[in-house]
Amino acid sequence: MVAARRASTWLFLSPWVITFGVFGLFPILFSFSLSFLRYDPLNPAGAGFVALGNYAEAFRDRAFWKSLANTGLFTLGTIPATTAGAFLLALALDRRLPGRTIFRAGFFVPSVVSMVVISLIWKNLYAPFGALNALLKFFGFGSVAWLQDPRTALPAIMAMDVWASVGYYMLLFLAGLQSIPRELYEASELDGAGAWARVRHVTIPLLMPVTLFVVVINTIRSLQVFIEVFVMTRGGPMNATLTTVFYLYDVGFFKFRMGYASAIAYLLFVLILVFSILEMRLLKRRA
Amino acid sequence: MKRFRRAALYAGLAALLAASLYPLVWMFVIALRVPGDGGWRPSLEHFVSVWRSGPFDRYFLNSVWVAAWVVGANMLLASMVGYALARRSFRGRRVLVLGVLATLMVPRQVTMIPVYLLFAKMHWIDTYAALIVPFAVDAFNVFLMSQYIQTIPEELEDAARVDGAGDFAVFFRVVLPLARPALAVVAINTFLTNWNSFLYPLILTHSESMRTLPVGLALYAQGEHSVDWGPLMAGSALATIPILLVFLVFQRYIIEGITRGALKG
Amino acid sequence: MRKLRAVETVLPAAAMLALSLVSLFGCAKKQTGEVITFWQFFDSEAIRPLLVRFEQAHPGVRVEMQQLTWQSGREKIIAAVAAGEPPDLCELGSTWVAKFASDGALLERTSQTADLRDGYRMWETAEYEGRVYGLPWVLGTRALFVNLALFERARVDSLPRTWQGLLEASKKVDGLGSDVYGFGLNSGERYVLYKKFMPFAWGNGGAVLSEDMSRSVFDSRQNLEALRFLTTLRASSLLEKQDVLDRSFIEGRVGIVLSGAWLLRTLEKEAPSLRYAVTLVPRPDAGGTHASFAGAEVLVSFRGSKHPQGALELARFLMQKENAVALARAVRSVQPAAVGAEDDPYYREHEADRVFIEQLRTAVGTPPHARWAEIEDIVNESLEEALHGSKSPEEALREGSKRIEALLASSS
Repeated sequence: MVAARRASTWLFLSPWVITFGVFGLFPILFSFSLSFLRYDPLNPAGAGFVALGNYAEAFRDRAFWKSLANTGLFTLGTIPATTAGAFLLALALDRRLPGRTIFRAGFFVPSVVSMVVISLIWKNLYAPFGALNALLKFFGFGSVAWLQDPRTALPAIMAMDVWASVGYYMLLFLAGLQSIPRELYEASELDGAGAWARVRHVTIPLLMPVTLFVVVINTIRSLQVFIEVFVMTRGGPMNATLTTVFYLYDVGFFKFRMGYASAIAYLLFVLILVFSILEMRLLKRRA
Repeated sequence: MKRFRRAALYAGLAALLAASLYPLVWMFVIALRVPGDGGWRPSLEHFVSVWRSGPFDRYFLNSVWVAAWVVGANMLLASMVGYALARRSFRGRRVLVLGVLATLMVPRQVTMIPVYLLFAKMHWIDTYAALIVPFAVDAFNVFLMSQYIQTIPEELEDAARVDGAGDFAVFFRVVLPLARPALAVVAINTFLTNWNSFLYPLILTHSESMRTLPVGLALYAQGEHSVDWGPLMAGSALATIPILLVFLVFQRYIIEGITRGALKG
Repeated sequence: MRKLRAVETVLPAAAMLALSLVSLFGCAKKQTGEVITFWQFFDSEAIRPLLVRFEQAHPGVRVEMQQLTWQSGREKIIAAVAAGEPPDLCELGSTWVAKFASDGALLERTSQTADLRDGYRMWETAEYEGRVYGLPWVLGTRALFVNLALFERARVDSLPRTWQGLLEASKKVDGLGSDVYGFGLNSGERYVLYKKFMPFAWGNGGAVLSEDMSRSVFDSRQNLEALRFLTTLRASSLLEKQDVLDRSFIEGRVGIVLSGAWLLRTLEKEAPSLRYAVTLVPRPDAGGTHASFAGAEVLVSFRGSKHPQGALELARFLMQKENAVALARAVRSVQPAAVGAEDDPYYREHEADRVFIEQLRTAVGTPPHARWAEIEDIVNESLEEALHGSKSPEEALREGSKRIEALLASSS
């Protein structure tokens, strides 16, 4: 019986184990080993072992630190905004509201569009004579060089990112809200709890698994922000939008230093791992 | 008071809705206008020129074919795995979970060359397999399913077991139907990512007959330093319209399916 | 309890089976005769007619062409080279040639192209350490675009020929109103700013590296003068990325931009009524040259290419004057490398296009240094620091030069 159960467990797991083993593990181990080499993809035969040299270089590399700071700012800025926004939208649209389907669909629509397309559209909106500056002008303000001013470039990309992803996480929260049994609300209402108390003591704790999922997934995604920067600013102006993944892409494919790029990738990997574990600990304790 | 709050809520939501839709409307505006005398006039010119720039019907079919396989595979396989993860304890669980989480955490920019090397050795470059098989079980979906399955009361499964159902029967007859909301999310999520996926299809295909829609569109309207906004936005709209249609047609199932909840269904 | 539906048991098995079948797809491609794989960046519609003619002239040979995207083409080339499965013939930007050649990735073509040397310009873009690694196919340079309507409104009556003329024209046009800028100055984009600053520096006798590329001359007096000039020009300029500057010029918001021939095509399509002129990049007030940046699209074969001979044939065919002119006309963003292309009726009829060919005479290419991308990055950062005012031009150039020196020292 136990053996049969174990067999079925692995049968259930097999699709994952196979695809992970072939398409997941190999590229990771390969690129991880590159992080200890001086590796030029145009001349693989000329690779040389440098031990921890690439990692040591990263710690001395100004641009790398700058990219970490930018990435951190992006993540710390977008995740609370996206999570809170998605949660509030889900709360608002979970109730019986005429036309809620239209609202749900409307908020979700940006997430069906590819990030490349979104970045292109927003690049157009942020242009010096684009829609956003036209709006400012209409209200009597001067125009802003959104993507050209080192002070506004990163916040501009962050705002776009929140816009693009909030609807998707709203949907996840909506799904989570549905799994909360109505009886729990009714019970707490009988106890005399107000609307806000119900949200605090019933909704938020019971949504913890969904919140955890949303926050962790968003962290993993945000710390690897790339497409937005690739399409809109290419790291500029003055490295104000140089994110870590964009930097390692530049190091690997423009400077042909794939070994160093891999080392940066695995430093970032450790960071993502630490953040995710911290979030899981923190949010699980709250639940 | 209550009426006022409701009106305020509506006004707020409506403003947000406008902000949510405006950029996409703008995309269509740019795509649908051409310079006329002194101003703009509406025209389908940009769409025509994009469509003529390559065999887009083929690109479209490729995208549909690949997305259908990847979505189907994920709905089935990711929920199988998610189920095992949620319900079973097994040796090596931690290692496996960490390993798969790692695939999400390592930037693709450094695994791209190893992936290419692997596929070249397997002679999978320029095949549908290269676009489907590696994406058949997405880690994100696995965790989503396992997260959701954890919220399903285990007693329901036990009841089925008492009735003499085997492991797979329990999975297919009890778990899957109850996990429908999460399956819907998996389906949309997979379809969206796959439909919009650009980098891998670009790197892993060579011939025109294997290109997917995003790859075909990227070849047009963007030079080294120049951007033709009209055709570019028309191309972006072309890539977006099918997915919008899918969403609008199925949104009842997608959103209402999620909101109805499976526990009562 | 419902009965287990057949569908639910069969489905997983079917899926598995189908997946494995799909895997076999595409493995059995039939190939007859010699197939030359050719990767390039231009619109495939512009290339295809040429390939058809090549195939007609070479029975039994088929060209399998693939268009690469400007956004991600390089990843594709690099991955293919790393995997040892590169195309037979490939278009490379001239800034990459030195790096690819120094890594031993390219096939040497010195003796096989000796007979072509006099018929084509800018072989130096295809050379590394005195050897030829590719064939210069088409060239690209930047010239000055001027909005004549804005010039008239601002009462500027001649095209700017010198720095002073440029500055005055820019100031006057800028003074027309808050929604009009004088000059379009590049900023906030990797691998572009260099191409827009150096024309002024080169025209003034400046450079980034010494002739033998052994040391930095980035902080020279000539460069400093050029950078000081740009920072003065900045006050009446719109600081933006190239595509935004082009767009602003098309919309009549900027009086003067430095741009490539692609802008001619976009202007014809999107602003047919805009009156403009194209002229050479202004030179310093006393002497100097009308320098500009020149890049080349070089046709190379790799060590691992399977049909190097056929690839060479194809490259020689593509670069021929009439074929290169046909391509340049179709894409209108490049100029043929073939000497005498300007005598083609097309260039006689299209004055603006001819300016670009004239501009090529005084244009300068990228130094063929294997670590150029890193050097250009330093150049770019230093220029941005000066243009955004976070450092003085002297300071920016001096520190940049030090960093370049350090980089040169570490690679030798």
